[in-house]
Amino acid sequence: MANVSLKHIYKVYPNGTKAVNDFNMQIEDKEFIVFVGPSGCGKSTTLRMIAGLEEISAGELKIGDAVVNGMEPKDRDIAMVFQNYALYPHMTIYENIAFGLRMRRIPDIKRDKEGNPVLDKNGNEIPVMRKYNKRELDQKVNEAAQVLGITEYLQRKPKEMSGGQRQRVALGRAIVRQPKVMLLDEPLSNLDAKLRTQMRSEIVKLHNKLNTTFIYVTHDQVEAMTMGTRIVVMKLGFVQQIDTPKNLYMYPANKFVAGFIGTPQMNFFNVTLKKEGDKVRVRFEGPEASIYAPYSLLQKTAPRYLDGNTPVCLGLRAEDISLDPEAVKNSKTNIKVKISHLEELGTETLVYGDIDLGYDGIEETDTRIIIKAAGFKDYKTGEIVEAALNFGAAHLFDRQTEESIMPRIPEYNYLDCKVEEGEISFAGNKIKLPPAMECPDGGGELLIPVTAVNFGGEISAEVESCENINGQILLCLNVNGDRLYALSDSEQTGSVKIGLDFKKLIIRVGDRQIDPMPLINGLTGTFVSEKTPESVNGKTKKVAHYYLLINGVKLEAPAEIYMKMFAATAGRKVYNSEYRYEWTPCDFALSGSGIEAQVLEVLDYGGERFVKCAAGGETLYVKCEGSPTGKIYLLPDVSKVSVIEREREIRIV
Amino acid sequence: MSKANTAMGKRTIKPKKLFGAAITYLIILAVCFIFLFPILWLVLASFSKTGSIYSFKGFFPTSYSFDSFIKLFTDTGMYNYPRWFGNTLFISLMSSLIGTTLTILTAYCMSRFRFKSRKAMMKTTLVLGMFPSFMTMTAVYILMTQFNLINQQWGLIMIYSAGAPMGYLTQKGFFDTISVSIDEAARIDGASNFKIFVKITLPLAAPMIVYTLLSSFVWPWSDFILPKLLLKNKDLYTVAVGLMSLDNTEFSRFAAGSVFIAIPIIVFYFALSKFLINGLSAGAVKQ
Amino acid sequence: MENSTYTGFFGKIKSRTRGFFSDKAKKIKSFFVTLPQRLKNKFSGAREILTQGNGKVCASMLVMGLGQLLYRQWAKGILYLLVQIAFVAYFVLKGAGDFIGFFTLGVKQGNAWYGVEGDNSVIMLLMGILSIIAIIFYIVIYISNIKDAYRIQCAADTLKKPESFKKELSSLLDKNFHKTALALPIVGVCVFSILPIIFMILIAFTNYGGAVVPPALVDWVGFENFSKILTLGQFAPTFFKIFGWNILWAVLSTFINYFAGLGLALLLNKKCVKGKTFWRLFPILAYAVPGFITLIAFKFMFSYGGPINQMITSAGGAAIGFLDIDAKWTARLIGLMVNAWLNIPSGMLLATGILSNLNTDLYEAARVDGASAWKQFVKITLPYVLFATMPVLISQFIANFNNFGIFYFLRGGLYMDGYFLASDTDLLINWLYNMSIDNNYYSIGAAISIIIFIVTSIISLAVYVMSPSYKQEETYQ
Repeated sequence: MANVSLKHIYKVYPNGTKAVNDFNMQIEDKEFIVFVGPSGCGKSTTLRMIAGLEEISAGELKIGDAVVNGMEPKDRDIAMVFQNYALYPHMTIYENIAFGLRMRRIPDIKRDKEGNPVLDKNGNEIPVMRKYNKRELDQKVNEAAQVLGITEYLQRKPKEMSGGQRQRVALGRAIVRQPKVMLLDEPLSNLDAKLRTQMRSEIVKLHNKLNTTFIYVTHDQVEAMTMGTRIVVMKLGFVQQIDTPKNLYMYPANKFVAGFIGTPQMNFFNVTLKKEGDKVRVRFEGPEASIYAPYSLLQKTAPRYLDGNTPVCLGLRAEDISLDPEAVKNSKTNIKVKISHLEELGTETLVYGDIDLGYDGIEETDTRIIIKAAGFKDYKTGEIVEAALNFGAAHLFDRQTEESIMPRIPEYNYLDCKVEEGEISFAGNKIKLPPAMECPDGGGELLIPVTAVNFGGEISAEVESCENINGQILLCLNVNGDRLYALSDSEQTGSVKIGLDFKKLIIRVGDRQIDPMPLINGLTGTFVSEKTPESVNGKTKKVAHYYLLINGVKLEAPAEIYMKMFAATAGRKVYNSEYRYEWTPCDFALSGSGIEAQVLEVLDYGGERFVKCAAGGETLYVKCEGSPTGKIYLLPDVSKVSVIEREREIRIV
Repeated sequence: MSKANTAMGKRTIKPKKLFGAAITYLIILAVCFIFLFPILWLVLASFSKTGSIYSFKGFFPTSYSFDSFIKLFTDTGMYNYPRWFGNTLFISLMSSLIGTTLTILTAYCMSRFRFKSRKAMMKTTLVLGMFPSFMTMTAVYILMTQFNLINQQWGLIMIYSAGAPMGYLTQKGFFDTISVSIDEAARIDGASNFKIFVKITLPLAAPMIVYTLLSSFVWPWSDFILPKLLLKNKDLYTVAVGLMSLDNTEFSRFAAGSVFIAIPIIVFYFALSKFLINGLSAGAVKQ
Repeated sequence: MENSTYTGFFGKIKSRTRGFFSDKAKKIKSFFVTLPQRLKNKFSGAREILTQGNGKVCASMLVMGLGQLLYRQWAKGILYLLVQIAFVAYFVLKGAGDFIGFFTLGVKQGNAWYGVEGDNSVIMLLMGILSIIAIIFYIVIYISNIKDAYRIQCAADTLKKPESFKKELSSLLDKNFHKTALALPIVGVCVFSILPIIFMILIAFTNYGGAVVPPALVDWVGFENFSKILTLGQFAPTFFKIFGWNILWAVLSTFINYFAGLGLALLLNKKCVKGKTFWRLFPILAYAVPGFITLIAFKFMFSYGGPINQMITSAGGAAIGFLDIDAKWTARLIGLMVNAWLNIPSGMLLATGILSNLNTDLYEAARVDGASAWKQFVKITLPYVLFATMPVLISQFIANFNNFGIFYFLRGGLYMDGYFLASDTDLLINWLYNMSIDNNYYSIGAAISIIIFIVTSIISLAVYVMSPSYKQEETYQ
């Protein structure tokens, strides 16, 4: 099994710079994964950490089932192809490929000169590790050479070969080791354009033939899109999105991914959105232009973006804009464009223009537009034409955070509501609010997170549609005419009965906002160890125990937790560092001893009760029964802790 | 005017250029003559019959013969030239072998490894190089006298070899040009650093090794200060000291001896001249 | 035009020096300001060990290797223990005496009459140095012993298995290969380069030399030798005269050799020259012949009975004493010319190598812009070559400053009036030789060596730091 698992992988340099931040990924066997991003985004560093050429600062790396964090590259069963081929110049191609094989020892039994097994005193075979003999070497090298078509060059030296042939030799050297994972670090960057396209398809064919996991690093998004089964887009050490090429193209998670994938680059315009009935007015900043898009396309968008004031960025690809007169006639979302110049490519023409009609044609502006038109066109510079925008393929991003505001899985449902005497009315239903959610009377907005909808409750709903998004199932429910999105474990149809998890709801009435209950409780503490004498096998020995020390209370840590903490820090820093320990509210138990906390409030959410308490300067929310008051003692479940090292800001567990 | 020339298809040689080329060649000839002349004089003097400078007519001997050469090798009573030659050969060979090993090892480590005291060591070597080498020699002389190591050839060999690694910069510059990804590929293939050094780096560094061997071989041949200080016994002299000990009357024997030892060195230098140009410039340009 | 280049030139020097000093002032200030923080960082490792080391680490502090043994690291523990035992044995038996002897330099005066064996001060000095080196080595190993014990403790406390001794040994060929490979060269350099230099520096502070040689006792005299050189009537005039000439000589010869070599390289590089390799053979020939041979040949050439004088006398003139005792400036001039003959070839080779790396496109662009050949040389060639060879130029300057051979052979051993044990063409290094080897004035000689070192190192460091090579590495990359 050659799957690769990266959990919370960090690369931190001694001066504090983080080259790779919290890289999490599960790579399945036989996948072709591509790490792509601009220079300095950390993709090569991550690949080298997988190879073993760089040390992993924190996190867990598994190849197959084995944790390989400290292992030497040769023991990890990987092979690597370098950007500059890294062939040994003074050896023949045969020797280059055979070099790694010569270093290896394979298990065998002791044999004599003729090859008959030599037995020991009891007549058993003796296991030994031996080198490959010439016949085996020949066979393996020739096999690899045949796959790559370099058999006739085996006796030549690297300098007698062209770039493409050298890269094939490098690939041969890698595949002859029959590795679990093939790592390729920008192997095609040194080749000319034509050779690159040819080698690209050869590498894909090689992947299909060998059926090994490939991890490929490149800065060229075309390579990424054409070769990968899944692509990891990185920027400045952070993972932006991990998805299939199709999903990256159609559903980019943020502006960076949207602009990075696809040639020519996506057009971005600054707009504001205002909901007007069942249409949304998209008003462009710069030119005085607006288009009206149907609201149905923006259902999953949070309402605050539709208020007409929030800065939004509209992204539209060149291929989703048309200058075809038929399309313009039929489309309701058109805009005028002033042409600046053309790039004629034969199959298509890229029309450059500006939506600001006062554009003088020389400076760079943010209202620039690029349109793909078929065939040859004869537009003149300065000509004003009308372009049809396919709003169905539009992407909207928050201008500040650059995150997509049209997520495939929306975060919240926004419903109008009215609160009256402790009861909230929304979507044709009236429900009693739990005592914890005290709210003044009035009309307002109710925000229901998609995760807060559970099944088997009181509210009736009809399932309108069911989408499977990367393994998660999003249901679109109709509740008395209002739309409600919900995440579910399984596909459902027809009528369902749903309930709400009140502690996750947000209610806004007038000036007042009722926030959801925080689901993360954090406490700062340190790590200590103690030796206690215990009796082991009848003898009294001092056995070491490891504890999390929080507010003076020692909580014993289980092996997996402390082993991970040891692995992430050097020397004895574990004992000198400050950590932040996080738990969810359900991980605490109230008991007679533990972390001392002062009860501030008891929150009754109907079915569940939580106590809000203060401990060591932090506010915690703990699940409880009844109504505890005064001083309580919390005992968290240590095996469920999340550990964050404060100094380097690394999540260890 | 040029258009007319090209239309005619002829290439007119401009008089200005011709003049410039003539001046250039004149200067070059003069320079080469200046460089050649003293050597020519020495070679001619070595073929003089009388063996004394006073019997020359100006720069040139009056009569020519091989006598000086023959006397060089046969008249070994006062001046045992063959013995000196053998000594020098032995010392140069051993210093070259030991010195090259030490230098290559040092240069490789400084190039490939980043260890804590690396910068400190580089700065120390720089500073040590600024001490006049003569200072070391007087000290070594005093030390050797006290320890009765004067008059030992191995003393010389050890001094030459031990001092060799100080000049590691050229070799280090060469190792820096060998790409690190080759080392990394070998590591992934399973080689330890020692194996990488032996199987990959050394074969690639063959030209540099040859350069180091040759230049550390040639240095003891021409060095006279150290042998003069440390070797008192006439039998142990190197050629350099021996020739210096000839007195004024034996000029042509001196010339003969010089010509004889200069020849192998000149041959080496011509072989090295390609290396010299690259080696000198590689070391001079900051990497 | 002349005026503006002049003022421009001086203006540049003025602003450069001002910039240099303000730059240095800033650097010095930041050095002191950050000093406390940097000291804290350097010793943080030590503080960590002192505060967090457990009992076993403390055991290692008292008895080397004890901590390792307590942690069941048998091989390492025993090795460290042996080192400690060996050192203690050495120190008790010999080291202590040697160490003290270093400071006293002998108290018992030997007397051949009574057959009393005295202290040999020089050997005591040497043995003292060796004992100090042994102490330093011991301290280094001691610290490594503590660090190693602490490392084992860290591994034990965080449940990481410390490497077995066998693995550590095999890592000597892998991760720690540099330690194995550098061991022998470092020892060699220490014994044959560092030790003699330290020895000489220390001798400069004694009165060893002249009459004071073993079996007489040598004593420490502090800075007496230096003050003697600079003030005493015997030494001072000679010193300043020679020092002045030395600097003049170094500047002139470096300048001539460098630019003549560059000129020759450019000349041979010209397009109109055919058969470049052939012409280059002649300078290489001159370079290849060992220096002392050509120097002696030149000495003969310019001697009274030599060929030049023979030609002069046969033409009817009087023989000229080129290298005579009276011929001060002639001799100096001849020295410069002969030195040029010897060193221009290597300069030419160097320049040729550098020029081959120069991008010829620069010249074409300059021609299109209308630059004359001289302007091209000054604005393109010269900055590039200077940049590339500045380190070599500095080492050539130092080599010329300390060029022993040239005047040793041309006019060796001449002692003149007004000079103590030197002649008017001798360089500091020749004077050193005369004093130390020929006349046993070891301590004065050592003091002069130190002065040479200070002067040359200051000059070379200053020039290097101010040079473009240091400041603008990226320009040509």
